[in-house]
Amino acid sequence: MNADMNSPEDQKWQSLLRLGASTFAGETEPPYGLISQTLARLRAQERQQEDLERIGWRALLASFAALVIAATVTLSVAFQDQGGDFEPGVRSVLQMDNIQVS
Amino acid sequence: MDDILDVDGCLRRWKDGDEAAAEELIGHLYPVISKIVRTHLPRRDDEKDLVQEILMKTFSKLHQYKGDAPITHWVSRLALTTCLDRLRAQKIRPEIRRSDLTPEESDVFDAAWLSGSSPDASGAIAARDLVDKILASLSPEDRSLILMVDLEGRSLQEISETTGWTISKIKMRLFRVRPQLRQMIHKLEERK
Repeated sequence: MNADMNSPEDQKWQSLLRLGASTFAGETEPPYGLISQTLARLRAQERQQEDLERIGWRALLASFAALVIAATVTLSVAFQDQGGDFEPGVRSVLQMDNIQVS
Repeated sequence: MDDILDVDGCLRRWKDGDEAAAEELIGHLYPVISKIVRTHLPRRDDEKDLVQEILMKTFSKLHQYKGDAPITHWVSRLALTTCLDRLRAQKIRPEIRRSDLTPEESDVFDAAWLSGSSPDASGAIAARDLVDKILASLSPEDRSLILMVDLEGRSLQEISETTGWTISKIKMRLFRVRPQLRQMIHKLEERK
């Protein structure tokens, strides 16, 4: 307790604390069921985390696959376009008449 | 306390999935957590619920424990922070008046001068409820600080280690809150 507390109010406060001291004491043994409940919550938390990780990995793989597909489509279209700078209609006429464009 | 239990071994076993190790750790940490929760939280709050919340936090943050101090110190800090968070969520009550006291609390307040003998259980509970009511009008930090100093008799250094506050901050808080407390008790005396 604080030694500098000499006012009547301070002493009254200290007396109140002394009177209620037993209610502040902690318990030494956990109450029945606390350990099993805590372990069950820990297990549930761990499962939830694993599920979230799994979902996260799946989402990542799905986005990667989508990215690969998009890249493939883009590249194949780009390769097809390498025939020249003509409009598709003009290009088909050129191809039909077998006209060589240098 | 840490000498009795092989905490490092327990932690290793728990990380390897051994639940018996978790049980041992909970049994070891429970008295420390229970003491902090009982001291810093009002009597009527759900103690078991909060103890469990602290235990959950302890296990989910175990990877942050470096082992440079006893685990009980680390858990004490975590428990106190959780109690302060809970107190912050509660509304700070306006200053207590004499008319707010129950007849039992009023009797205990009047008899507080004559506290040479140990009170009976109901007297202790009334005194505790009165202490809770008086402290409810302080900020959570001030409330906890007063209890650490006046009830637990902790040194400023110990408080600093538990709370992470600097010594000067603690002194400043005490300097500010002590007159507030005196004034509240004085007003309760006046309104008899």
